[in-house]
Amino acid sequence: MESKKLLVVDDDVNQGLLYEQELSDEGYEVDVANSGEQAIEMVKEKEYDLVILDIGMPYMDGLETLGKMLSMDNRLPVILNTAYPSYKDNFMSWAADAYVVKSSDLTELKEKIRESLAKRGA
Amino acid sequence: MSELRKDPVINRWVIIATERGKRPHNFASVEEQQETGVCPFDEGNEFMTPGEICGVRNPHTLANEKGWQIRVVPNKYPALRVEGSLEREGVGMFDKVSGIGAHEVVIETPFHHDPFHHRPIDRIADLMKIYHCRINDLYRDERLLYVLVFKNLGTRAGASLPHEHSQIIATPIIPKRVSEEIIGSLEYFNYKSRCVFCDVIREEKRFGSRVVYENASFISICPFASRFPFELWLLPKRHMAGYTMMTQQETVELAECLSMTMKKLAGALGDPQYNWMIHSEPNPAMQRSPWPDLHAHYHWHFEIIPKLTRIAGFEWGTGIYINPTPPEEAAGFLREVETE
Repeated sequence: MESKKLLVVDDDVNQGLLYEQELSDEGYEVDVANSGEQAIEMVKEKEYDLVILDIGMPYMDGLETLGKMLSMDNRLPVILNTAYPSYKDNFMSWAADAYVVKSSDLTELKEKIRESLAKRGA
Repeated sequence: MSELRKDPVINRWVIIATERGKRPHNFASVEEQQETGVCPFDEGNEFMTPGEICGVRNPHTLANEKGWQIRVVPNKYPALRVEGSLEREGVGMFDKVSGIGAHEVVIETPFHHDPFHHRPIDRIADLMKIYHCRINDLYRDERLLYVLVFKNLGTRAGASLPHEHSQIIATPIIPKRVSEEIIGSLEYFNYKSRCVFCDVIREEKRFGSRVVYENASFISICPFASRFPFELWLLPKRHMAGYTMMTQQETVELAECLSMTMKKLAGALGDPQYNWMIHSEPNPAMQRSPWPDLHAHYHWHFEIIPKLTRIAGFEWGTGIYINPTPPEEAAGFLREVETE
């Protein structure tokens, strides 16, 4: 079976590499973008099954990136992955499939990825 | 010279500028809310919200699909949750209560840009009926002692999306602001055997200078001790403690009065950002109410606060607000606004 294509968006290069490695080990095909602008260009170029999106990024934050991505395809599954639970107060976060607070243990993130892909039948 | 004025309900002092106050155009315009590209509250994006609790729908349409006028959904990430048991605990001298409650979002319109003051009266009446329905339903849970209906419009007022929505939060405690009002109204009642809010309505009608609009059942005023420029209260003329005691006819007249008041506010201030909140009675099914005669002395009302000034150190430190626009002048500006 063809592996699912994930895009990880995180302005922290090392964090992006960590996710790339961990999620590749789970059998996903993983690309990494280090800014919202770069992520939007990558989504235009390639069809992803799911996007994992940081929120606290310079220039274009994750919620703005989310809005722009979903205006191209409002069914694109996105998981917000942030160090801060406070963005839950922003109703724009509802547009994402899930909201995961960052942790060194990626169990919850991996679980949400599986759930999201299963729900969308990807 | 300025003057200090005391609120007759809760005895809170405010400082009012009595010289020529700040006029509507003196308030700096505020930043527009940033557009988000996609909005989870827009019609067609129902799948982005939790499942509908209730709503106003076109005939033959299904919940969580297109074809609605108003949707009520639970908050996806609620501040308080219905699940769990209510535990009250003392930790030394400190008190804790488990976070039982409810947090709902009322999506007022399917349209992304649909200002409240442009909507027809019947749609506003539908919104008022939805509030009524949700308050009644939440008060069936005896753990929930208070239901607050409120609205934030604009970033300065705390809204995260420009799509107009209100919120409902039910709490297992009675909020301090509300209990202060209830206690204030009780003290006034014990002294004069009258409802302080009914007396406020009588006095405001007699003076007239702070009245903005009135119809058969409701009156909107800039209160005597307004904390903020262009602050408004909207009160039912008939004495009633709870929002859900309104008749159908009164609900329509509330919608009309609120619509006219908001049109005037928009006309005077150019679509200001604002908060509104409904202060109504606590859960009538509450066991051992500390205010058994509440229906005699309390009177529900709307409070509308345009976000024109910021709360700073003096206000936080003293609880005394400085209002640069006397309410008599604010009401005068609002009365002059032609609504059609």
